[in-house]
Amino acid sequence: MDTARADILAARHQLQTRGWISRKAEAFRHLPPPDAAVWLGDESGRAAPGCEAHPLTGAGWTLHPIGHSPQGRVDARWLDASDALQRAELWAGLSAPLGAGIADNADDRAEGDAAPFSWAHRALCRHGLRLRIGGTPGAERGPREPVWLQLRHQPRRAVEAPMLVIEVLAGVHCVLVETHDRQSVACQQPVVQNLQAHIVLGDGATLQHLRIATPGAADHIAHHVHARLGRDAHYAQALVASGSSYHLQRNVIALQAEGAVARSAGLLLAADSALEHQVRLSHGAAGTTSTIEDLALASGSARAVVNAHTRIAPGAAQADVRQRLTGIPTGGQPKLVLRPHLEIHHDQVQAIHSATWGALSEEALFYARQRGLDERTARGLIVQGMASALLQRCFADDTLLDTLDIDALLRAAVARHLAPGQEAEHG
Amino acid sequence: MTPSEPLLQVRDLRVDVGERRILKSVSLDVPAGALLVLMGANGSGKSTLGLTLAGHPRYRVVGGSARFAGQDLLALSPEARARAGLFVSFQAPPEIPGVKNNLFIRTALNAVREARGEAPLDAFDFLGDARAAAARLGLPEAMLGRPVNDGFSGGERKRNELLQLALLRPRLAVLDEVDSGMDVDGVRAVVQLVQELRAQGTAFLVVSHYQQLIESLMPDAVLRLDQGCIAETGGVGLASDIGRTGFVRTAEALGV
Repeated sequence: MDTARADILAARHQLQTRGWISRKAEAFRHLPPPDAAVWLGDESGRAAPGCEAHPLTGAGWTLHPIGHSPQGRVDARWLDASDALQRAELWAGLSAPLGAGIADNADDRAEGDAAPFSWAHRALCRHGLRLRIGGTPGAERGPREPVWLQLRHQPRRAVEAPMLVIEVLAGVHCVLVETHDRQSVACQQPVVQNLQAHIVLGDGATLQHLRIATPGAADHIAHHVHARLGRDAHYAQALVASGSSYHLQRNVIALQAEGAVARSAGLLLAADSALEHQVRLSHGAAGTTSTIEDLALASGSARAVVNAHTRIAPGAAQADVRQRLTGIPTGGQPKLVLRPHLEIHHDQVQAIHSATWGALSEEALFYARQRGLDERTARGLIVQGMASALLQRCFADDTLLDTLDIDALLRAAVARHLAPGQEAEHG
Repeated sequence: MTPSEPLLQVRDLRVDVGERRILKSVSLDVPAGALLVLMGANGSGKSTLGLTLAGHPRYRVVGGSARFAGQDLLALSPEARARAGLFVSFQAPPEIPGVKNNLFIRTALNAVREARGEAPLDAFDFLGDARAAAARLGLPEAMLGRPVNDGFSGGERKRNELLQLALLRPRLAVLDEVDSGMDVDGVRAVVQLVQELRAQGTAFLVVSHYQQLIESLMPDAVLRLDQGCIAETGGVGLASDIGRTGFVRTAEALGV
């Protein structure tokens, strides 16, 4: 038996031995994920047909330059995870997932809670993309000119486990737009997708990462992004996500070197659907800064959950932590759960957190209507403004927002959310 | 609307806020192109009148009528009132985070233009008009690109109200203490804008305590609102009298 096959069987064995995520697991109890069989394609009727869409380049991933970024500085490798050597290359430098309850510290235990997803991913993953951005291997510092990239992922199979590894070398500044949408392709059959993405930022590297995940209504989606930041590295991720039958977006960000900065922003749009954003940030070094900010809009019978957890480890002096979670019902009787958590093991830190549930500002709404806007347009404009402000705070870069035409993106996303019944129609 | 009918005709208007009656019986006429000044002590109901006319859901009309340009104003939604040509400035305009001022105003302006049967303005044409109006009003051009009223000073918010007034060119503008928080140049800009718009046919109902502004506006009439009723009507001399004697009017001051 080759080692790839052995690895797959070992992953299945781990999953069987340790079991799936308990419905009582703290991090998942508000929106328990479907069972392992769903993610492995063992559920009857799921695994059979492949997608009828035109085949796409690579392992479902296609890479596109934005503007005139010098592409010689991007090393992209599409790897076949069923080949032993390529599988080893795909997972090189990444640690194996832990089992729940066997970890030594809180961060590892948290990772352990989600470990069944990782094992299921290892068991099913067939393709992956590995990106190395900026400079040549061995170069101490890359150039400061930013690298702009767009990474699109389209599902190729009914049940799949894509993989993505991104290394941004020391000193390199990268802008990455990662999209997962179902609306522009022919394939509209329900998809089960368990994505694992690993991001490593070298010392002084910067990654501004816009993620857009708009699955079909019947899709089961779980995206896990693991980020490790070097000294003085900056990682800003803004997520724009809509709900589906089950949709989990999970970030685990480790600030293990001095001066590292992470900002996570989530715009969640759930209409008669399920959507959870989990963000787990750990401060393991002095002088680290993090912000988690989410705006969750839910309508109809939607269930939207934001789970933010920031841990400041002993010794992480002068850590600066902020969490700001906002939930707004936009119609119907949705269930909105906002869970800000702080776990502080050091005295000299700053930490602020808040969670606000509420309606749109009635005064702002009336003001807009008094100027002639109908109620629907006024609501859309106000919500779009809140979303725009969220992304501005995340990226703190007006040029970037203009270049990516974020306003148009948000206008379309908010209009889709506020239009009754729209989400159920695609996918 | 018949030629003899005033642009705005309010009769015996009674309005509650929560459990409290604020307007007990207000009747007034604003002819097309006229300028009326509304004065009154704090709590007399001036802002309530403006927001009721605008259709604010917190202000519950319990009796009376209001006709605007031949229509039953009270039966219209707030946006329909605005599109019919009613503009009400806010004492404390709210902020709308993340919505750029120029986008907000252009969206509003095009909604109103559509109601008038006019073609929408594209971003380029709008920006030219907006820049020119902002310059006349002393509003820094940068304010056009910032979120609506977000981080604006009190005076900047009022100037931003005037900017919208200038671009929307309504048939009737209710200006609620638009001079408060304004510097001398701002007050001068108010007078100039009101005169310009009056020349184009806009009528005004101006709420103010500022004697100099009232005199500069040369109103057709001055009304005094007291405890939810129009207690007195006169010319600009009434504003002078109130300035001299205050709102607590004695029988002697009233000439009885």
